[in-house]
Amino acid sequence: MKSRLTLRFIALGYLTLLLGIPVALVFINAFQDGVGAAWDAVTTPEAQHAFWLTFIMVAVAVPLNTVFGVLCALAIVRQRFRGRAILNAMVDLPFAVSPVVVGLALLLVYGRRDGWVGEWLAENGIQVIFSTPGMILATMFVSLPFVVREVIPVLREIGTEQEQAAATLGSGGLQTFFRITLPAIRWGVAYGVVLTTARALGEFGAVSVVSGKLSGRTETATLFVENRFQRFDETGAYAASVVLALLAFATLLAMNLIKPKEAQG
Amino acid sequence: MSIVVDSVSKRFGDFVALDDVSLNVRDGSLTALLGPSGGGKSTLLRVIAGLEHPDSGRVLIAGEDATPTPPQRRNVGFVFQHYAAFKHMTVAKNVAFGLTIRKRPKDEIEARVDELLKLVHLDGFAHRYPSQLSGGQRQRMALARALAVQPRVLLLDEPFGALDATVRKELRAWLRRLHDEVHVTTVFVTHDQEEAMEVAEQIVVLNHGDVEQIGSPRDLYENPSNEFVMRFVGPVSELRGRWIRPHDVEILLEPMDGAPEAMIDRIVHLGFEVRVELSLGDGESTWVQTTRGQLEQLELTEGQIVWLRPEADPEPVSA
Repeated sequence: MKSRLTLRFIALGYLTLLLGIPVALVFINAFQDGVGAAWDAVTTPEAQHAFWLTFIMVAVAVPLNTVFGVLCALAIVRQRFRGRAILNAMVDLPFAVSPVVVGLALLLVYGRRDGWVGEWLAENGIQVIFSTPGMILATMFVSLPFVVREVIPVLREIGTEQEQAAATLGSGGLQTFFRITLPAIRWGVAYGVVLTTARALGEFGAVSVVSGKLSGRTETATLFVENRFQRFDETGAYAASVVLALLAFATLLAMNLIKPKEAQG
Repeated sequence: MSIVVDSVSKRFGDFVALDDVSLNVRDGSLTALLGPSGGGKSTLLRVIAGLEHPDSGRVLIAGEDATPTPPQRRNVGFVFQHYAAFKHMTVAKNVAFGLTIRKRPKDEIEARVDELLKLVHLDGFAHRYPSQLSGGQRQRMALARALAVQPRVLLLDEPFGALDATVRKELRAWLRRLHDEVHVTTVFVTHDQEEAMEVAEQIVVLNHGDVEQIGSPRDLYENPSNEFVMRFVGPVSELRGRWIRPHDVEILLEPMDGAPEAMIDRIVHLGFEVRVELSLGDGESTWVQTTRGQLEQLELTEGQIVWLRPEADPEPVSA
């Protein structure tokens, strides 16, 4: 009994010190000049544009990483091919590589002057670096592993018998995927989507390198927070942080609200 | 529809699962593929269904070569040992799956599902999820699902293997009756000789990827073609270097030509059946199956000396 309480105390204390207190202080600081000041700080045109840009990052990166994430997971679990192990290891690369390095790597590929395909892109009027496409690529890079990593164990667990049963009942490959496989892995996908969204919302380092940080043009919400902070606009920085935190909470909450309803199925 | 398996071979790496296997399954019959695990029986069933592609040989269903046809166009019903229930669908949706895929009209699907759920005694369970059913109920649902599309042949892979003994026995008898009602050509895989004997009209004994013998249950029991089949399809005991069914040995109280002398070590009562364990002179021991009536009539007791006479055996199998 005593040891159980101790364990609980350690876990709670650890979380409070590391997560609870800092996040609570962000909230307190955001509203130190009142709710009105905080509201004004996050509704300036720059702030609105920053949130809009973050929304674009999420809206492009999450669906693409979801679709390709599921395809990658299927390839890794269901097929036997040379290089499968390499593919499996590559998926974890974004976990291992620092986002700053990701940003620099993207510069090497798409940079206008010395990038691998940068010159060709520039000649054809496509600007990747210091503009939205580059920032989307950076966001996609860092948020790629989540759906794959969440879906792989679920795919392993469900096995292939249900799919084989569907085949003997006359179901073709695509029908089987949409009617059997996808519903069976839906919670893995949902959890992957939530984590991808949270990561895309919060990405800073890689986007920072490729964005050029042009206020009102290539500034996402996280870059906006940094910008405000460096200009000693604490209310602006903390208020925008609160909005980001609330969006992340909302994403996690949304999943927890929909999950129990179907858990019995 | 009839099934013909023509010289089918299948390897998995170095493992030979099927080695030039041929067999015929008559239209409307009920056939068991019997053998120890790893003998190739499940692989053969999966080859017939199209879930595995043979390395060589052909499969003919209703006289047509089905070898190149993918499983979704073979129109075979397949039932898996672990049910393969679609967990996110209700029982009704599970059973309706094949018909939904075929885009049949809604009221036709409903009527057919109702009819099938009655057939498998699951009416009233239509709106449950598979997780709310027992193992036996899930397997009956899987069977209804396979029958819904009116398959040309019904294939069952160890259908009762995951169920407990009582449910197993019930479902066996029930499958037999169902076959009499539905008359679809049925092949099922089992490692349980009693199950094969009780349910099937024809038994195919498979071992190490080879067909050991094909015949009726009685044929296999009375005229096994080799020692493996003899030992696999029923009890055996050894007497003077020969394998014999333990109920084919008569216990005599007087000596007789060709009847070795033995001493009763133990008498085990198993209800109606009685098992008599004996030792012969030179360290050899054997057992004989008899009945309680016989035992009482002969007044046998442990320690008694008797003589054992093998009953006439048309084709003795040497040990």
